[in-house]
Amino acid sequence: MALEVPLGRLQRWLQEIVVHPGTTEEAVAGRTARALVPRRRVGEVILPSSRLRPEERLAIYHDMYLLRMEEALESDYPALKHFLGDDGFRALVAGYVRAHPSRSYSLNFLGAHLPDYVRAAPGLRRRAFAHDLARLEQAVAEVFDAPEEEALRPEGIAAVPEAAWDTARLRAIAAFRLLALRHPVNAYLQSVRDERHDHPPARRGDSWVAVYRRGYTVRRQDLDRAAYRLLADIVSGKPLGVAVKAALRRGQGKRPTRTQLFRWFRGWMASGIFRSVEAGMTGPGDRRSGGPALKDRVTALDKKR
Amino acid sequence: MKANRWGLPDLGIGVGLRTVHFAHILSQHPPVDWFEVLSENFMDSGGRPLHILDHVTERYPVALHGVSMSIGSTDPLDREYLRKLKALAARTRAHWVSDHLCWTGVMGRNTHDLLPMPYTEEALRHTAARVRQVSEILERPLVLENPSSYVEFAASSMTEWEFLSRLAEEADCGLLLDVNNVYVSSFNHGFDPRAYIAGIPADRVVQYHVAGHTHKGTHIVDTHSDHALAEVWDLYRLAWRRTGPTATLYEWDEDIPSFDVVHAEALKARAHREELVAEAAGVARGA
Repeated sequence: MALEVPLGRLQRWLQEIVVHPGTTEEAVAGRTARALVPRRRVGEVILPSSRLRPEERLAIYHDMYLLRMEEALESDYPALKHFLGDDGFRALVAGYVRAHPSRSYSLNFLGAHLPDYVRAAPGLRRRAFAHDLARLEQAVAEVFDAPEEEALRPEGIAAVPEAAWDTARLRAIAAFRLLALRHPVNAYLQSVRDERHDHPPARRGDSWVAVYRRGYTVRRQDLDRAAYRLLADIVSGKPLGVAVKAALRRGQGKRPTRTQLFRWFRGWMASGIFRSVEAGMTGPGDRRSGGPALKDRVTALDKKR
Repeated sequence: MKANRWGLPDLGIGVGLRTVHFAHILSQHPPVDWFEVLSENFMDSGGRPLHILDHVTERYPVALHGVSMSIGSTDPLDREYLRKLKALAARTRAHWVSDHLCWTGVMGRNTHDLLPMPYTEEALRHTAARVRQVSEILERPLVLENPSSYVEFAASSMTEWEFLSRLAEEADCGLLLDVNNVYVSSFNHGFDPRAYIAGIPADRVVQYHVAGHTHKGTHIVDTHSDHALAEVWDLYRLAWRRTGPTATLYEWDEDIPSFDVVHAEALKARAHREELVAEAAGVARGA
């Protein structure tokens, strides 16, 4: 005798069992599931096979759910899994998908909240390091899938009127992320990718990383604090003159030399992290900030490539 | 023998486009007839995957195959997903767009599993209406694949093949007949796979899937992780006799070996097809 269950209710019940964090028996007996289909009537909804009871058949779907979630998250966070170990990562995934179940047609977005979750995850060992590692791996995943955009070419720079250069703004490509971290996680990620056994210790230590895509390959570049701060100012939309002057004004030990500035700009241009330069307003105030010189520098550097 | 009712082409013997084979495909341009592209893998990627897909579609015919349409769900259709799917189909010049007879989640959640439908009149009406909606949005007949499943609903009032046949008729959709799924479900549920093949409307089959699976003793899991059994190829031959030349694809998604191994497995279909053509010619001569 079949229990008549409307399609919507039947689907809510089956989903409740599939995603339940406990065993299938616990899922079937859970309050939500019982409200949809009484436990004693499960056999009137799911038929047994010649070899399996209804609950055992349901377990096939239930048991595959977490494995699938773990596999999807591992593909974006392999170093985090390495850092936490198999059991630690599995426990993290179980808690994470309870808090942030997939609500998208694509598993690509499943890990979008993982760094935030890691930051507050109860009982996680060396949580601050894991959080930074997750942030870096999330940036890599986002850059991998970001839309392709043509990098700024020398002609684009040459097209900016000299008088407007000081107030011009450089726009980063979509496949670019800039991170300030409290731990040297880029070195750790590299050691995992290299399959080394001597991983850097999970110690405290500020680090700065640019993640970008060039030629369809994701690259990670360590920066020092001064380069990070200048680049952060530029990609946040500050006029170039303002950003450069701020860099040159910074305190002892953080202030870059002009040679360093040239080197950074040359490297960033060669890396293709900018997609456009937007000419700013021109006026007496702008000219006083010394823009034309900067444009000349960048153009000259680019021609040397 | 006759082609499907829409005249969709027999693309020959194809394999699934998988990341681990990208470098081989780009450098070797293997002589494969066509590729099946997993829609969701390319919908939201603007990087290397899309770049490679563009290269592949310049050289090979493709069909799109999805896992997230959730056609049987009682949640509303995901219009954003369908918009992106339609755009991808246009970009790739896909010959058709397929998904599964299943649902993947409700109440806004996605389990990312192909969950089974009860084969009831209510589910049939519900699914047929949604298939018609999707076909209108995509401006082409949707193609639906028979799923592999691990539970049966007591409320089902018809067999899976009766449900699929009526759905295809009422919603005017095509079918992707996965003969491995027929085999897997026939073991799990204890039905005759030959009756399934015989019950499918042959003129609506526009594509075949063949794959390997994992036998767990008490049940079989559709893992796409191995060579296909002889019994699965037998079902392919049985179905092919009814449908005639129809695009065929070999699926390998776990423990994926080299491209050449996957392609060699796919090419077994060609040997079967050539035997069947010779067999049909012999019957015709004898007549």
